[in-house]
Amino acid sequence: MSTIVFDHVSRTFQRNNHDFLALEDINLTVNDKEFVAIVGPSGCGKTTCMRMAAGLEFPSGGSVNVAGSAVKAPGPDRAVVFQQFALFPWKTVYENIEFGLRAKGLAEAERRKIITHYIELMNLVGYESAYPNQLSGGMQQRVAIARAYSLDPSVLLMDEPFGALDAQTRVVMQEELVQLARVNPRTVLFITHAVDEAVYLADRVVVMTPRPGRIKEIIDVKTIRTGEKWDSYKKIEDVMDLASFVHIRTHIWKSLREEDERTLH
Amino acid sequence: MTMKIRRLNQRTIVGALTLLSVCLLWWAATTTGLVSPMRFPTPAETLDSFNQITFEGYGNATLYVHVLHSVKLVLIGFFIAVGLGIPLGLAMGYSPSVEAFVNPAFLLLRPIPPLAWIPLAIVWLGLGDASKVLVIFVGAFVPSVINSYTGARNISVQLVEASAMLGIGRWAFITEVLIPESLPMIFTGLRLSLQAAWTTLVAGELIGAAYGLGHILSQATLDIYISMIVVAMITVAVLGGLMTYLLGLIETRLMPWRKG
Amino acid sequence: MNASRRALSGPRYAVLTAGGLIAFFAIWYFAAWARLAPPQFLPMPHQVLATLLRLMESPFSGYTLQEHMLASLQRFGMGFGLAALIGIPLGLMMGWFRLLDQIVSPLFNGLRFVPPIAWVPFAALWFGTGIGGPVLIIFTGAFPPCLINAYRGARYVDTYLIEAARTLGIGNFRIIAQVLFPAALPSIIAGLRISAGLGWMSLIGAELIVASSGIGYLLVKGQSAIDASIVMAGMFSIGVVGLAIDIILRLAEKMLARHK
Repeated sequence: MSTIVFDHVSRTFQRNNHDFLALEDINLTVNDKEFVAIVGPSGCGKTTCMRMAAGLEFPSGGSVNVAGSAVKAPGPDRAVVFQQFALFPWKTVYENIEFGLRAKGLAEAERRKIITHYIELMNLVGYESAYPNQLSGGMQQRVAIARAYSLDPSVLLMDEPFGALDAQTRVVMQEELVQLARVNPRTVLFITHAVDEAVYLADRVVVMTPRPGRIKEIIDVKTIRTGEKWDSYKKIEDVMDLASFVHIRTHIWKSLREEDERTLH
Repeated sequence: MTMKIRRLNQRTIVGALTLLSVCLLWWAATTTGLVSPMRFPTPAETLDSFNQITFEGYGNATLYVHVLHSVKLVLIGFFIAVGLGIPLGLAMGYSPSVEAFVNPAFLLLRPIPPLAWIPLAIVWLGLGDASKVLVIFVGAFVPSVINSYTGARNISVQLVEASAMLGIGRWAFITEVLIPESLPMIFTGLRLSLQAAWTTLVAGELIGAAYGLGHILSQATLDIYISMIVVAMITVAVLGGLMTYLLGLIETRLMPWRKG
Repeated sequence: MNASRRALSGPRYAVLTAGGLIAFFAIWYFAAWARLAPPQFLPMPHQVLATLLRLMESPFSGYTLQEHMLASLQRFGMGFGLAALIGIPLGLMMGWFRLLDQIVSPLFNGLRFVPPIAWVPFAALWFGTGIGGPVLIIFTGAFPPCLINAYRGARYVDTYLIEAARTLGIGNFRIIAQVLFPAALPSIIAGLRISAGLGWMSLIGAELIVASSGIGYLLVKGQSAIDASIVMAGMFSIGVVGLAIDIILRLAEKMLARHK
């Protein structure tokens, strides 16, 4: 059971000799094979939450558990997709995906099988021998996603993965990710500041507010999505036209706007 | 696109014209005696000396033998220096403990110019090849260490995090992430090391040697054979440029993933 | 594998640094004590110190240590000053007048590959043992960074600064002096630091061959007397002074950065 549990998590930074409270009392459970998105403005600490689940940072108070045990270090069981792709420039597409699999000790034949599968899945056929700098941003992120999925992780952590891409590519990637997520369900924690993206992709959306970072509310999207049959629409623009979609999206915007106004005073 | 071609052509043309006019000036100044033949040779004399040393020999051997000897010493010193310097620099960049331990010795020895080691090398190893190699080593060692160190220290945090996430082991990290990421800086170090090696070689051979380009220079000075001095200087410059160019080629071959 | 290069705690850093320093001297002492080489070749550190003090008291080969060092610094000052006085304005002008760049660059790039030390024969022939010889060699070493850095600083000045000056109707040379020069100053000072280092090295090299005084000359005399402690004392002084020059220029660089 790969659940992520944030239990009374807080995070304090040292800045100019005084303490800066970045996160305050975060309590969140991401259930097994659930897709949870965290939205919020810059600086609300949403990326910090993901990094703590990844083992790249550690809480000052409280604990972060994945699959029952406390997170002590990064590892392939919690695969990360970074905003800036983090591909190794001197490795080809194939080698980039292979790197983690080799570290796991898999045999060559088995690796080849897995890599070929994900290359097909992520529309990367023909690019196996290309270097990252020969690829567009969208292609590079596809490689990063393939790399993450190929590790067969219990948990997938995505840090604004489409933030560095242009608007058109972003839409295509969102559609692809939805297909992938429905076909290959996994526990996912997805960080974004784009509300549309969160509502489209996630089962639940967590709204966070800054200074200090706190969870304001958690919205259940899945019930409405299955009820209104969003998945029957192939195109993202058709889904975003639905009244039920607009309703949720507007609700979240308003929620974020309240916080904006609160902090301005 | 055509603007670029036109500009390139203009640059080449002016460059070629300049070199041509310099040669003309050289010829005119020396042949007409404007510059005393005692101070600088004419192009014709230089060519004569070049022929002499290439075919008959000067200073104990032909140009080919001298060049071979010099290049051999440079390469030996250079390879020992980078063979030790690059791993040390990488280790210092990767591990703060190693850096803290090695730094004092480094800081003490670094300000001493490589050429200043020549007298000590001669005291320890005599006037033969060994002392030259020692000095070349000293000259080439420091740039390699420093640049490898900088390369290792400046590896991107994202790649380190990605490696940790992927579960990459220590050895794989060093060979497949640290070194490739540091390669550009390592090559900068190699270039500087090669330059330093070349400079210290010539200096060492000037002071005392039986063969080599530096020896030609010192012999020609004693004989007041000016045109031979110029031949030697040009050879030194050409070889230095050639080796740097070759290094650049190796660099491009070794890093095919770099754009342009 | 660490996800980040963890900084060493203060105490741990101090211990490792001290350890490195102790290890350095321990190895030296041990090598000398174990008589790996006769004491003339490998003196103990305190013997070198004693020699250093002795050289400051009584003359060796004509002068005391300080007097030798003063002679060296004089030559250095002249060569370095000349390199800066010619190199910086020329570099700025080359950055401004494209034609000048195209004329001078090929010449410069060709001569660059001749190591400063290779100019020694000409220095000897043209200047004998006069001060001109070492100054020429220091100049050839110190000149390139001055020129290159001034050139780069001028080439990459913000175009809006230049346009602003142009609209005010300021003439070419005033632009160079009052716009390009201040804007290029950080690059120029960085170049001066490199230049000083190279000039100092070239000085030592020159004094190893064509001098009758100076710290390099001291090294050579120590070498012919087969007295390693004199040579080492000389090397130490060279290192200290070279370091001092670098620190002074580094401070100048910092002060300039703060002003901006």
